[in-house]
Amino acid sequence: MKLKDIFYDTILPGDQDLNLPAASRLEIDDYMASVGATEMLARYLDLLDTLAHEKFNHGFVDLSAEDRLACVTFSKRKDIRLSTAIIVNCLKSYYTCESVLNILPTGSVPPFPEGNVVEGDDWSILEDVYERGTIYRHIPE
Amino acid sequence: MNKADVLIIGSGASGAAAAWSLSRNTSNRIVCLEQGDATKAGDYPTNKVNWELARHGTASSNPNERKNKADYPIDDNGSPISLANFNGFGGSTILYSGHFPRFHPSDFATCSLDGVGDDWPLCYEDLEPYFNENEKMMGVAGLVGDPAYPEYDRLLPPVPLGKAGRKMAETFNELGWHWWPSYSAINTSSHGGRASCVNLGPCNTGCAQGAKGSVDVTYWPQALRQGVEVRTGCCVYEICVDKFHKITGVKYLNEKGEDCFIGASIVVVACSGIGTPRLLLNSKSAAFPDGLLNNHDLVGRNLMVHPLGYTEGVFEDDLQSSVGPQGCCILSQQFYESDPANKFKRGYTMQVLRGSPAMETAVSAYMMRRLPLGPDHHKTFMSLFNHNMGIAVISEDLPEHHNRVELDEQNCDANGMPGLKVSYRVSENTQEMLKHGLEKSKLLFQQAGARVTASFAPVKHAGWHLMGTARMGNDPEKSVVSPLGQAHAVENLFIVDSSIFVTSGAVNPVATAQALTLRICDHIRQKFVN
Ligand SMILES: Cc1cc2nc3c(=O)[nH]c(=O)nc-3n(C[C@H](O)[C@H](O)[C@H](O)COP(=O)(O)OP(=O)(O)OC[C@H]3O[C@@H](n4cnc5c(N)ncnc54)[C@H](O)[C@@H]3O)c2cc1C
Ligand code: SF4
Repeated sequence: MKLKDIFYDTILPGDQDLNLPAASRLEIDDYMASVGATEMLARYLDLLDTLAHEKFNHGFVDLSAEDRLACVTFSKRKDIRLSTAIIVNCLKSYYTCESVLNILPTGSVPPFPEGNVVEGDDWSILEDVYERGTIYRHIPE
Repeated sequence: MNKADVLIIGSGASGAAAAWSLSRNTSNRIVCLEQGDATKAGDYPTNKVNWELARHGTASSNPNERKNKADYPIDDNGSPISLANFNGFGGSTILYSGHFPRFHPSDFATCSLDGVGDDWPLCYEDLEPYFNENEKMMGVAGLVGDPAYPEYDRLLPPVPLGKAGRKMAETFNELGWHWWPSYSAINTSSHGGRASCVNLGPCNTGCAQGAKGSVDVTYWPQALRQGVEVRTGCCVYEICVDKFHKITGVKYLNEKGEDCFIGASIVVVACSGIGTPRLLLNSKSAAFPDGLLNNHDLVGRNLMVHPLGYTEGVFEDDLQSSVGPQGCCILSQQFYESDPANKFKRGYTMQVLRGSPAMETAVSAYMMRRLPLGPDHHKTFMSLFNHNMGIAVISEDLPEHHNRVELDEQNCDANGMPGLKVSYRVSENTQEMLKHGLEKSKLLFQQAGARVTASFAPVKHAGWHLMGTARMGNDPEKSVVSPLGQAHAVENLFIVDSSIFVTSGAVNPVATAQALTLRICDHIRQKFVN
C-alpha cells in the first residue's frame, strides 16, 4: 500500500461492526484535487515520513498502527495549520461520500430523495405552558 | 421607454414583498433590479450527495468565502461577528432557516419601558394586519395560542418536533419554562401551490423541494404574474438625485457590464441592512456630498446583528436529531422580557436547533477535540451523530452609534463598487445577556440528561440579522426615514428593509421586516402609485 493510503486508513480505518469502509477505498484523492490540496497533501505526507524517521527510526509505512497514529499527533504539534487542513479535508471527503452516507443513519440521501418521516405530536404536552398564562408585556396606552 | 413608475432595488425578503404589494391592481410599470443571478431549485446543492460541501462554497452564507460575482467584499476585522447574506434572486431567504417569529409588543417601546434603546414610531397593533397577511403569503407553520404573544390569526400545522424536540420540550416543562413549537416559514401541508416539507434538513443551502418559504417561491411568482419586471445581474451603484432633492433614476451595470440608467418616479430600496447603506453611501452628489440621506451622519450607523450564543448537548440515545428542518423546532421566550433580577436590560430567545448533518458533526467534533482519529473514530462518531442538539441564544442588540458599516474604497466588488468595512463591538449589556443565556442553555441540557459539549458566545459566523443602519423616526435629525419608510430628505425615495429598524428585538427579523414592508407599500400605493 502507498504511504497516502496508509495515512488515510490510519486516521479513518474501516469498521467491520458498523460496516463502514476504510478511507483508502474512497475517492479522497479526487476530492483533494478538487479543492486544490494535492500539493499540500504531498507536503504533509513528507512531514509524516520525516517525523516517523525522527521518532521511530523507520518510515511511516513500516510503523505499527499505533505508532502511525502517534506520528499524526506529532504532526499537529509540528505544523498545526497543515495537519488540520489535511485531516479536515479527509473528514469532509469521507462524510460526503455516497457509500458512507448510505450506511450512516442519515435518512434519505440526495439526489431526488423521498424524504424522511417525522411522527406527529400530541400537543397536550403544551398544557403546562398554557396554564402558566400570558408572559408578554402589555404596553400602556 | 426607459422609465419605471416604481423602481425596486433588491429582490430579497423585503424587495419581493414590496413587488407583490405595489403591483396589486395597478397598471403602473414596476421594475426590480437585482445584482445577483436567478436562483434555480434544480441547481441547489441539496440535489447532490455532497451538498454539505457547498456550505463552504457557492452556498456559504459568508460572501467573502462564497465569492460569487454579485458578492461585495466585507472587511470584518473590526468586528467579532462576521456578516452573512446571499446576493441572488430571492436574497438571503434562499439560505435562511425560515424561523419566523414576530417581534413582541414590548420590542417597539424599549426606551419607555426599560430606559434603553429607542421607541419605534409605531406599535405592534399597527403591524398586526400586515403580520397576518405576510404569514399567509409566506406559508407560516406554527400553533396559535402562544402565551408569549397576542393572539395569532391562523397558521399551517406546526413542524413536527421529532424525538429530540420532544425530549427538549419535556425538559422545558420540568423546569417550568416557556417553550412553543417554532413559527416556521415551512409548508407542513401543501400551500400556495408548493409541496410540503419532507424533513431532509439542509434548508440553509436552499430548499430544492420548494417547501421553505423563500421569496423566490412565495411572493415572486405572484408579483411576476402581476406584471413586475425583474432584471437580474444588474448592480445599482448610484441613486441619482437632482438639485431639488428628487430622485431622477438610478445608474447600474447590467449583466453584460454595460453602464445603464433607468428613470423612476419612485425608488424603493430593499438591498438589506448592509446593502442599503452601501448604496446610499456610494450615491454622492452636490446635494448629498457624504452619501444620499447621510446629512446627519446616520447612514450605516446603529448596526445591530443579534450576537448569538451557542450551546451543544449530546444525548446518550439516538434521537434521530438530524432529521427535519434544522433551524425550526422549538423556541423559548422564557427570558425575553426585562427582569429586574438580571444584570442586563431586555432579553433573548432560545432557538432549539436540530442536530447537525454528518460532515458538520464530524468536522466540528474533531475541531473541538471530541472526535478521535484511528480505531475509536467511528464508534465515537456514532455516539454524536443524531444524538446532538443545539440551542442558539438570540440576544437583543441595542442601537449604538459607533456600531457601523462604512464604504471600503480599498476593496471593491467585481464592478468596481466599494465593499464594506464593519466596526462593531458587543455591548456590556449584551455580554451579560449572552452569559445568562449560555448558563440557562447548559442547565437545560443538564436537566435533559445530555452532556454539554460546547458553549460559547458570540458565534463568529452568525451575523445573519442585519438591522438599524438607516433607522426610521419622526425627527429628521435623528432618523433617516419617516415611520412610513419615506426618506426625510427626499420625497420620492423609500426604504423598506430591516435597515430602518429602530431596535432589533430578540427574534429572527424577517416576519417583522416584511410586515413593515407591506405597511409602507400600502401607504405608497394609496398616496403615490394609484
Ligand atoms: C444563513 C442565514 C440564515 C438566516 N435565517 C433566518 C431565519 O431563520 N429567520 C429570519 O427571520 N431571518 C433569517 N436570516 C436573515 C434573513 O434572511 C434576512 O434578514 C432577510 O433576508 C433580509 O431581507 P432583505 O430584503 O433586507 O435583504 P436580502 O434578503 O439579503 O436581499 C437583498 C437583495 O438586494 C440585492 N442587492 C443589494 N445591493 C444591491 C445593489 N446595489 N443593486 C442591486 N441589487 C442589490 C442583493 O443581491 C439581495 O438579493 C438568515 C440569514 C442567513 C444568511
Ligand atoms: S427540511 Fe423541509 S424545508 Fe428544509 S430543505 Fe428539507 S424539505 Fe425544505
